[in-house]
Amino acid sequence: MSARRAWAATWYGVVAGVLLVAALCPVLFSTYFTSAVAVIVLWTGLAAASLTFLAGYGGMISLAQTALFGVAGFMVAKLSVEQHWNAWLAALAALGVAVGVGLLFGAIASGSEGIYFLMITLAFAMLTYYYFLQAPTFGAHEGINGVMPPKLLGDPVLHPTRIYYAALICCVLIYAGVRYLGRTAFGLTLQGLRDDPVRMSALGYTVRLHRTLAFASAAFIASVAGVLSAWDNTRISPGSIDITRTIDILTVAVIGGLYRLEGAWVGAFIFVMLDTYARGLSDRFETYIGLVFLAIVIVSPDGVTGLARTIDRRIRELTGGGAKPPQSPATPTEGAAA
Amino acid sequence: MSGAPLLRVRGLEKRFGGVHAVRHVDLDVLPGERRAVLGPNGAGKTTLFGLVSGSIFPSAGTVELFGGDVTNVPESQRTRLGLSRTFQTSRVFGGLTVQDNLYLGALGVRGGRLRPLRTAKDAELRAAGRRGAERVGLGTRLDTLAADLSHGEQRQLEIGLALVAEPRLLMLDEPAAGLSRSERQLVTELLLSLEREVTLVLIEHDMDVALTVAEQVTMMHEGRVVMEGTPAEIRASKLVRDLYLGSAYAA
Amino acid sequence: MRTLAVPAQLRRFAGPALGLGVLALALAWVGYRAFGAGFGAGGNVPSLLIISLNGLTLAGLYFITAAGFTLIFGLMRVVNMAHGSLYLLGGYVAWSLTANHGVGFWPALVAAAFAGGGVGLIMQQLFLRWNLGQDLRQALITIAVSIILADQMLVHFGGIAETITPPGRLADSVRLHVYGLQYPAFRLFVLGAALAVGCGLWAGIKRTRFGMVVRAGVDDRSMTSALGINVQFVFAIAFFVGSALAALGGVFGGTMLSLAPGEDSNFLLSSLVVVIIGGLGSLGGAALGALLLGLVEQLSSFYLPASYTSDSILLTFALLIVVLAIRPAGFFGRTA
Repeated sequence: MSARRAWAATWYGVVAGVLLVAALCPVLFSTYFTSAVAVIVLWTGLAAASLTFLAGYGGMISLAQTALFGVAGFMVAKLSVEQHWNAWLAALAALGVAVGVGLLFGAIASGSEGIYFLMITLAFAMLTYYYFLQAPTFGAHEGINGVMPPKLLGDPVLHPTRIYYAALICCVLIYAGVRYLGRTAFGLTLQGLRDDPVRMSALGYTVRLHRTLAFASAAFIASVAGVLSAWDNTRISPGSIDITRTIDILTVAVIGGLYRLEGAWVGAFIFVMLDTYARGLSDRFETYIGLVFLAIVIVSPDGVTGLARTIDRRIRELTGGGAKPPQSPATPTEGAAA
Repeated sequence: MSGAPLLRVRGLEKRFGGVHAVRHVDLDVLPGERRAVLGPNGAGKTTLFGLVSGSIFPSAGTVELFGGDVTNVPESQRTRLGLSRTFQTSRVFGGLTVQDNLYLGALGVRGGRLRPLRTAKDAELRAAGRRGAERVGLGTRLDTLAADLSHGEQRQLEIGLALVAEPRLLMLDEPAAGLSRSERQLVTELLLSLEREVTLVLIEHDMDVALTVAEQVTMMHEGRVVMEGTPAEIRASKLVRDLYLGSAYAA
Repeated sequence: MRTLAVPAQLRRFAGPALGLGVLALALAWVGYRAFGAGFGAGGNVPSLLIISLNGLTLAGLYFITAAGFTLIFGLMRVVNMAHGSLYLLGGYVAWSLTANHGVGFWPALVAAAFAGGGVGLIMQQLFLRWNLGQDLRQALITIAVSIILADQMLVHFGGIAETITPPGRLADSVRLHVYGLQYPAFRLFVLGAALAVGCGLWAGIKRTRFGMVVRAGVDDRSMTSALGINVQFVFAIAFFVGSALAALGGVFGGTMLSLAPGEDSNFLLSSLVVVIIGGLGSLGGAALGALLLGLVEQLSSFYLPASYTSDSILLTFALLIVVLAIRPAGFFGRTA
């Protein structure tokens, strides 16, 4: 077997291995690990995926994803705990409300680009946090406790297996859905907007409409994550969506690769592992995370997946020419657009 | 070449702060025409294009396209009426393949842009894209990322994007910019081979390309139209010579 | 052929008309609440005066902080997400000096401004010089710095809320000669300081040679550089001044309000909102935005029925939405 084939085989093997481990996680690892790490990686990754989807396919870097995550989480909590709705119906309603809010945010922010868009979404995120912090109807700063997942999913702390698989299924479906969407008219239009909105307008597309719908789609992804997190934690509070958490999701995405869908889960894994096992090592965890974030933005803005791709490309070049056919989305080039 | 004008511009003005980019321009373009808009840098040619395509709103005046007033119609809607334009510096979708670029160009003027499913329409659009690619000489480069194309190939894709929308009025902004001799030759041939159903208006600095392709020429200077005529008349005109060479020889 | 567009005149005036309509309704509501009980001392006018003063002085604080933010963006297109951290840093430095080291208020103020300016300058020189034009990347870098600064401040200054004691003569209240009201002198001082900062910046930018270079640099960076002017030097000075203003804001805010972890995010948000409303890079816009935000916050939290305090957030939100709907680049912002 040539060196190149060997390398490709190794690569596929690694990916297959990871997927296998993910599928068998509750069997392979302790209950503690599954509930305290694995499930959290899944829905944190999903929340970050709403960001990497928007950035990678739409060229929009938004900090409002945690806000939408929170809207869904608070809605499902309130409806199931205080209004005694059936958990599945509450989830559905929460998704609907969060997507609606996403449409609103998207419609307002769709007229802006680049850094301005980032600022507006950050303002949205903070305002949403402050709202939930003060709104008595959502528990003010205490939040809402006692959120019970549907009976089908069982107890998330003592028997996390079911909620783990529910989260895994959601992640896989959404990942596959986004990859499929990327090849449809809607998805390709979005990528065109990412690369050159001026040209898209000249080709007959209404830029603001598409941006708004893209934002709403990302809101959907974030809201699924929000519902899962409310069920997994059996509670939700403003602390789940404060500025630290907003930056955390951004950190997760940047570490994993801001413009790559997979980056969300890679980054989530690294972040949650560090958070669970390394936080106790030092009181200055935040400083170290900040330094890692800084280093990544300076050295490899494409994060870990970008680094992996670079290594992959180098080895391919070394083992005998010819590039792999490109997979969209590629990293948008900065500087000209923003 | 007869009938109502495809494009009619009356009294068009555009001010950018203190700069009077376009001053009281009147223009008629008839169906099937081959029109070149020439003039030195700063004459207002690209601004005029922007006003016609809808990317810039006029300070005064009207624009009529295909018999209807489009002065207040946004750019994307004008495109769907049958207008296509290209840009001075290629604006292609770098992160997508040539095939996907042309797909978007074809999709833009048809319905179903929001479709989240893959349907038979997609196959039609891709076929249109393939034909478009072959037309501009990119038939073998369908799976290359637009960002990986050479400058000349990007210019070809630029024109391809505008053509695949099957426009009635095609506006090209310096299609030959930055091209090698042989590439310019290809562009000229491509433009000459366009069917009469497509009316062509182009801005060019390259006199050879412009005067070979054009049958009518509009000469602009400092925001005004200073002369209109055939290529022969333009070539013979003292006024044109003065305008292009004048600033160096005036004093 | 049908034209599907709204006539230009309607489109141009619909936005401002809507905005003015909303404003009129708001003023009517405030007017009713304030004056509905008559003009006597027993009515609501005295509270209106106090609330308005609160709004104005808060606006002053917002302006001082946001002015630095908009200066840095206007010149270098850098959105300094660490701006809130610099605010808090300035406040903490001044607090630490006055409370723990016996330094007087005014020297502490100067020290804090220099500290903030210095830290900002170091950040700019280390991390923001070599990637000009990569707006998003720079924003991410400043976010990372803000994470680090926030944690370090927690270590060095603790997690409890602290207040700075105002200097002797400003520690009392001033008599207002209307309705026998009194108002904290320091807050009035902040309002005065805001006006001074505004005038100073305006004069500095419009009237001096340095300011001319700043404006040229905003308009056309490469051309200004090609003219032989040391653009990097100008940027460094501007970044220092902008950061020093944030720190100054922190000292004032720490005196009239308080200092605590979380105030950095608070004032980053207010700077963002002020600058989004007013337009990035515009000083006048920052003044307008600060005024609107300060007044809306104070008036709404007072005049809305008590159970609706969280809705004052919604009003700030609504303010933002209304402004962006009319002017997507802010009142005085330039698009791109």
